[in-house]
Amino acid sequence: MDLTHSLLGAVDFGLLPQQVVNGILLGSIYALIALGYTMVYGVLRLINFAHGEVFMLGAYVSLFVAWGLGFGPGPVSPDQTSNWVNLVIMLVASMGVCAAVGMFIEFFAYRPMRNQPRIASLITAIGVSLLLQYAGALFLPNSPPVPIREEVNPYRANVLDVPLKPKSADLLAQTKQAQVALDEAERTLKDTVAAEGIKSEFDLSPEGKKVRDARNAARTKATVTQNAYDQSGLSLRIPYGQLIMFLTSIGLMLILRHVVMNTAPGRAMRAVSLDYDSASLMGVNVGRIITLTFAIGSALAGAGAMMNATFLGTPLTTFFGMQPGVKAFVAAVLGGIGNIPGAVLGGLLMGIAETLVVWVGYGDYKDAIAFVILILVLLFRPGGLLGSAKVEKV
Amino acid sequence: MYWPVRLASILAAVGGCFLLDALARGVDDYARRLIVLAGIWVILSVSLNLINGITGQFSIGHAAFWQVGAYTAGYLSVTFHGKWGIDGLPWMILMMALGALMAAVAGLIVGLPSLRLRGDYLAIVTLGFGEIIRIVVQNQKPLGEAYGMNVQPKFQTVWLVWLMAIVCIAVCRNLLRTAHGLPFLAVREDEVAAGAMGVNVTQVKVTAFLIGSAFAGVAGALLAHYEGFISPQMFKMEQSFIILTMVVLGGTGSITGATIAAVALFYLPERLRDAPPVTGAALLGGLIGTIVAVVLVKRTVDRFHGPKIGAATRYIGSVVAGIVLSLALGAGFGMIPKLASQSFEAEKLRMVIFAGVLIILMLIRPQGILGTNEFSLDWVKSLLRKRKAVEA
Amino acid sequence: MSLLQLEGATIRFGGLVAVNNVSFSVEKGDLFGLIGPNGAGKTTCFNLITGVYKPTSGSIKFRGSELSGTPPNKVAQLGIARTFQNIRLFQSLTVLENVVVAAYLRHRVALPSALLYLPSAIAETERLKAEAMRLLEVLDLDRRAQVRSADLPYGMQRRLEIARAMATKPELLLLDEPAAGMNPQESDDLLLTVRQIRENFAMTVLLIEHDMRFVMNLCEKIVVLDHGIEIAQGPPETIRNHPKVIEAYLGEAV
Ligand SMILES: Nc1ncnc2c1ncn2[C@@H]1O[C@H](COP(=O)(O)OP(=O)(O)O)[C@@H](O)[C@H]1O
Ligand SMILES: [Mg+2]
Repeated sequence: MDLTHSLLGAVDFGLLPQQVVNGILLGSIYALIALGYTMVYGVLRLINFAHGEVFMLGAYVSLFVAWGLGFGPGPVSPDQTSNWVNLVIMLVASMGVCAAVGMFIEFFAYRPMRNQPRIASLITAIGVSLLLQYAGALFLPNSPPVPIREEVNPYRANVLDVPLKPKSADLLAQTKQAQVALDEAERTLKDTVAAEGIKSEFDLSPEGKKVRDARNAARTKATVTQNAYDQSGLSLRIPYGQLIMFLTSIGLMLILRHVVMNTAPGRAMRAVSLDYDSASLMGVNVGRIITLTFAIGSALAGAGAMMNATFLGTPLTTFFGMQPGVKAFVAAVLGGIGNIPGAVLGGLLMGIAETLVVWVGYGDYKDAIAFVILILVLLFRPGGLLGSAKVEKV
Repeated sequence: MYWPVRLASILAAVGGCFLLDALARGVDDYARRLIVLAGIWVILSVSLNLINGITGQFSIGHAAFWQVGAYTAGYLSVTFHGKWGIDGLPWMILMMALGALMAAVAGLIVGLPSLRLRGDYLAIVTLGFGEIIRIVVQNQKPLGEAYGMNVQPKFQTVWLVWLMAIVCIAVCRNLLRTAHGLPFLAVREDEVAAGAMGVNVTQVKVTAFLIGSAFAGVAGALLAHYEGFISPQMFKMEQSFIILTMVVLGGTGSITGATIAAVALFYLPERLRDAPPVTGAALLGGLIGTIVAVVLVKRTVDRFHGPKIGAATRYIGSVVAGIVLSLALGAGFGMIPKLASQSFEAEKLRMVIFAGVLIILMLIRPQGILGTNEFSLDWVKSLLRKRKAVEA
Repeated sequence: MSLLQLEGATIRFGGLVAVNNVSFSVEKGDLFGLIGPNGAGKTTCFNLITGVYKPTSGSIKFRGSELSGTPPNKVAQLGIARTFQNIRLFQSLTVLENVVVAAYLRHRVALPSALLYLPSAIAETERLKAEAMRLLEVLDLDRRAQVRSADLPYGMQRRLEIARAMATKPELLLLDEPAAGMNPQESDDLLLTVRQIRENFAMTVLLIEHDMRFVMNLCEKIVVLDHGIEIAQGPPETIRNHPKVIEAYLGEAV
């Protein structure tokens, strides 16, 4: 008990639900990126280290589209307003460009390595990742880091308020009482001012000052009770932008699920992932499926990038893809790499864990928590949460 | 004949290090620092090669052991130097030993999951351990948090660094020259079969991690005392990737390859720092020329099966074509004012070139520079023999 | 006391009982055959004996002491060596090195001497290499000693598997389909070699084989498995005429 107290300090656990929700919102982005990792790993057994950089490029595409729509880079005129169409344009552009970049990388860097040892492909992936970071730094604005202007989000002022616990009726009564008392005090003060024949309450006589003090006390009481009342209930506050982000992520995941489970290319994708050689012998055009996998995975990263940059306001540098990339990969492994629901679960868990760690005051260790969880999970479930560790047949 | 040869080679190694030291006194501080750092990278690359190339354990967090060594030695020096009654070389040796010890402990902790995890799973766990260590260090007040710490006293010698590099190379080489190295290779090749032949797979893996990380720890102690300053920034994930790249580029399992690749990959970006700025025109020309040369070389690699001389001619031809094309296009693009006026500093270009070289080398020669070969007289002879056979 | 004794050995993989309550004893000096149709659980039996898998129930005793739960390398140390049905050589090592890995099991010099390249380690390396060379001669592979094992022709790879297993100096040698994929000539040669091994090296041999002719000619005792269950046991003549065996191999000439 004591230990919990000293470790967690003054954490108000009433806010836990809000934190979990924040974590899930953030996690939906990790999940989108993790899907790309897991799909590519599924078909090629390759850790696509450049995936984080695809994410980074997606964010830049969104930035430039936002600029093109009149939101930056210079001052934005006050009557420049945004609407949902702008957001859709940014999303589609980001997804499209990322899909193209993903296919491009696959074709030029990974395809020639197809029959080489896997570690050689991995080094190539690292090379591509470094190349995109540093070549990007030559041409893209990145110092100082650029955020996407928040004006592009038409819903930035709207917040969804979900009441969890109603506000206290007791306090409401007290608040009303205090308000009445305050009105009363104001009236008395005004009368006194009028009676003394002066213009402002600052010129009051000593007796008059007492009336003013009484009014001030009433005002304080009204504020205090009002605040107490406001905070007496519990509600989840979700900015509309983040809600849209979450719903879009879920929508994309459902579409992905449909594609993978119910369409011919999806079936082929699963076949390649189960057994590359047999699939190609069975007439699956493996090359096409791999291209498709890269396109879809990269498009999802592009969607995540656009929403991350627009709704979470992360400033962009050409190096900023690395951290979320690695975390998303960890999320994929956590869920069981190659396993699509696993990637989603892993991503959400990662988001929650990270948010909670920051919330309880260990923000400095935010970037380590992903790995701590990963190592613990792998030690006890070597195949990840939803994956199954393969026992090698001898 | 054993002892005379042995003693002579040890003397030659030590003598060589002192000779290098003496020569390094003739150059400026910057050049001397490069010589030292190259030695440190050799230790890192060769020691990771033991874990990764020889034993086949896919570890990609080597910089963490380096960091543990550096911070152990740095912290102990700052705190205890002058209190234990030793100084100079003995102190430095003590620091290297303790740095190695702590790094080996870290290696043990990281090595344990390797008993349960294989391949990519192990890779991501080693990467994770590396990050955890870095983040924990960067939140410790006594270790200077993210700002880093000054290390006193400095110990700046060229010979000690290179002597340790040679020791590291010798230990790995000795392992492979005796039957004791074979179980390590067997674990890399097939764990199940190795176990069935009586190889204690657990012990082999842990040993590889222990020795490999201990040497990385030595490299850390050397770095801390040469630079006189260490910070978490110096041990980022990218550094682990660079060490891994050295191993793979050298040829997985080849000690000679790891050594050569370490020196080459370290020097390339460093030399590029001093290069003059490049115009946009030259850059674009160079890019196109390079792509053309790479495509030509790759075609020769994939499709040409004639004699070595023919291949060599083609390679040289491709490279010359690439260079000529680069220059010509560079001059051509120079006519376009916009391209001619743009200027890129070498400092910003060097990592781009580094990454490009990496990709190109992997595309052209995925088995690494030396493949699995070691440099030895026999190997050179066998190369020459093959060439003669082809010619005949 | 039998050299190797299985009593009710059982293992399940999920719903599949790959080896179901199998019992048999191998005596010292036996040339013992383990046969059965594809997927009968023969290889799995080997995996149970050598510690690759742990039996779900039942016991496996070697020289009277319990084996189950012993890790593979300890089993090898105790004196059981095996070959693999789907060849598992150390592919990028040479033929000689493959055998030395196994011979290394009986090494005496500690690792530090090797790291320092002391004379003791060199001498031991030479000794192990010489031992390995002798085994390669027995299996007629000595002229290929320096070839990468992956570059050997298939029949030789099978023989190398045997040489490698023998290098651990086992009392009991387990051969998993040693003649698979060999032509009749190679198979006949192998038959002689196995006999010779048993005579000259005083090894007990337990072997799985698909080639009936091979087993019937070579083995003195045979156990037959089908769907994980032991259906017959006895000398070749009994097995040849056993109705259940004929049924299991339906259509195949036994
Ligand atoms: N690790 C494993 N996991 C699941 N099933 C296995 C495993 N190993 C073997 N089996 C199954 O056990 C059965 C027996 O296999 P095996 O012993 O290899 O047969 P055989 O008699 O041909 O050597 C087969 O159906 C095989 O698929
Ligand atoms: Mg079998």
